[in-house]
Amino acid sequence: MSASNPASTPASTPAPTTPSVLQSLSDDLAAAVAKASHSLVAIHARRRIPSTGVIWRPGIVVTAHHTIQREERITVTLADGTSVGATLAGRDPTTDIAVLRLNSEVGVPIERAATGAARVGQLVLALGMPGPAVTAALGVVSATGGEWRTWHGGRIDQFIRLDLAIYDGFSGGAAIDASGRMVGLNSSGLARASAMTIPLATVERVAEQLLTSGRVRRGYIGLGVQPVRLPAGVVAAHALPREVGLMVVSIEEGAPAHAAGISLGDVVVACAGEAVADPSELLAALTGDRVGTSVTLRVLRGGAPQDIAVTVGERQTRSDR
Amino acid sequence: MDSTSFLSPALAAGLELDGLAALVRGYTVQIASRNGTALGSGVVWHPDGLVVTNAHVVRDPRPVLSVGGAGEFEGRVVAHDARRDLALISIDAAGLVAAPVGDAESLRAGSLVLALGHPLGVAHALTLGVVHAVTTTRGMPRYIAADVRLAPGNSGGPLVDTSGRVVGINAMIVGGLGVAIASTVVRAFLRDAARSGAVSYTTPLAA
Repeated sequence: MSASNPASTPASTPAPTTPSVLQSLSDDLAAAVAKASHSLVAIHARRRIPSTGVIWRPGIVVTAHHTIQREERITVTLADGTSVGATLAGRDPTTDIAVLRLNSEVGVPIERAATGAARVGQLVLALGMPGPAVTAALGVVSATGGEWRTWHGGRIDQFIRLDLAIYDGFSGGAAIDASGRMVGLNSSGLARASAMTIPLATVERVAEQLLTSGRVRRGYIGLGVQPVRLPAGVVAAHALPREVGLMVVSIEEGAPAHAAGISLGDVVVACAGEAVADPSELLAALTGDRVGTSVTLRVLRGGAPQDIAVTVGERQTRSDR
Repeated sequence: MDSTSFLSPALAAGLELDGLAALVRGYTVQIASRNGTALGSGVVWHPDGLVVTNAHVVRDPRPVLSVGGAGEFEGRVVAHDARRDLALISIDAAGLVAAPVGDAESLRAGSLVLALGHPLGVAHALTLGVVHAVTTTRGMPRYIAADVRLAPGNSGGPLVDTSGRVVGINAMIVGGLGVAIASTVVRAFLRDAARSGAVSYTTPLAA
């Protein structure tokens, strides 16, 4: 064993490089995490490990619906380590958002980035709190797009996909920008194996509805439909905007469409004035605010267009408990 | 910094990353068995031929170490701590570039870190990420979980801060996260090794 030359140790140890861009970037990122972590909470509402939530307003926490597996005896650990009881204000499986009401109006609301500010290539950090401390992952916004619908039919105001690794606690946590402001609520439950973040506009809208009514209302008329290509002659004869319509293949007994006299074989071409060529477009037209009102369905029956008024009902989902 | 100040921050960061990679490559060694099987990576801790790695890397008591720029050396395992998963290898060399050792206590969630190693036989692969969490025991950092992509062969290699200082020894992958043994634990390991007489130093090692 050598190490006999005392002078060699300090001399051959390279001095750390001067304060650098990387160092200041690192400091900024750590500061962003520290700032946002005051607004993160750990939610104890499932087995295994806690999930993450974000303080939206004092006493109000938003999180991912699919991480809340227990609706009673929910407790929340705040960033300062204090524990607070919470009740489920409501959940919306279609957008994967749930809202908790804390038993006291505590918590620092998270600072939010401007809506619609997410840009492809922008640095983002995904924060989780699946335990006593906040955890972070770094990546970029990998794709943005317009409004889209989840596979459960929920409306998401903007498509924002992140390129970063998904770790335990990702869902229900916040995606933040390099200055620590929230750009979205993370969910791994909206797209398979892809890190999606729910934009603030959607969180705000859904949280508001959940806090007011405990659920997100969605319209229901009781039709099963299938897209069919329309004969060119019919499209031309009635100046239809689309070449595809939705053929009615099932009608629920006693449902609004049944009561309005829709028949099997009718082809729906428009709902409330909007052309529909895909089942998701029909679903999209049946928004919650239309529940209880009358909408006009334009259908082709025997090749001739006909307007039928349907009084929209409210969709019941299994999770609406 | 001055020479790069006219660049955009992203370009300047890229250049710095290049420089940092070169610095870290200088003190990261590749460890293989005598029959040539790649075992993992190691960190030159002292210029006179002391290399730190994981205990699970040195399955061969006489591993072969290749030190960038200084060639290949037959090593002798002089300290082995299976509980901490750390080992110390001595090679007959002097004047090596030793790693500057950083302070794991200065790390916070979100701090940028780099890992260098020889994953799956790929020499000097670099990955960049942020600190995910630091776990402590009795107030001292013990493990650093980092959002960096590691693979077998990264074991024993350095986890480095943005100044090129070693803050941990990459040891395992848990749930996709790289987990490194904090430099504070390495220091304790080296103190114990010195105390037990396994290694004798005339220069302080675990300062």
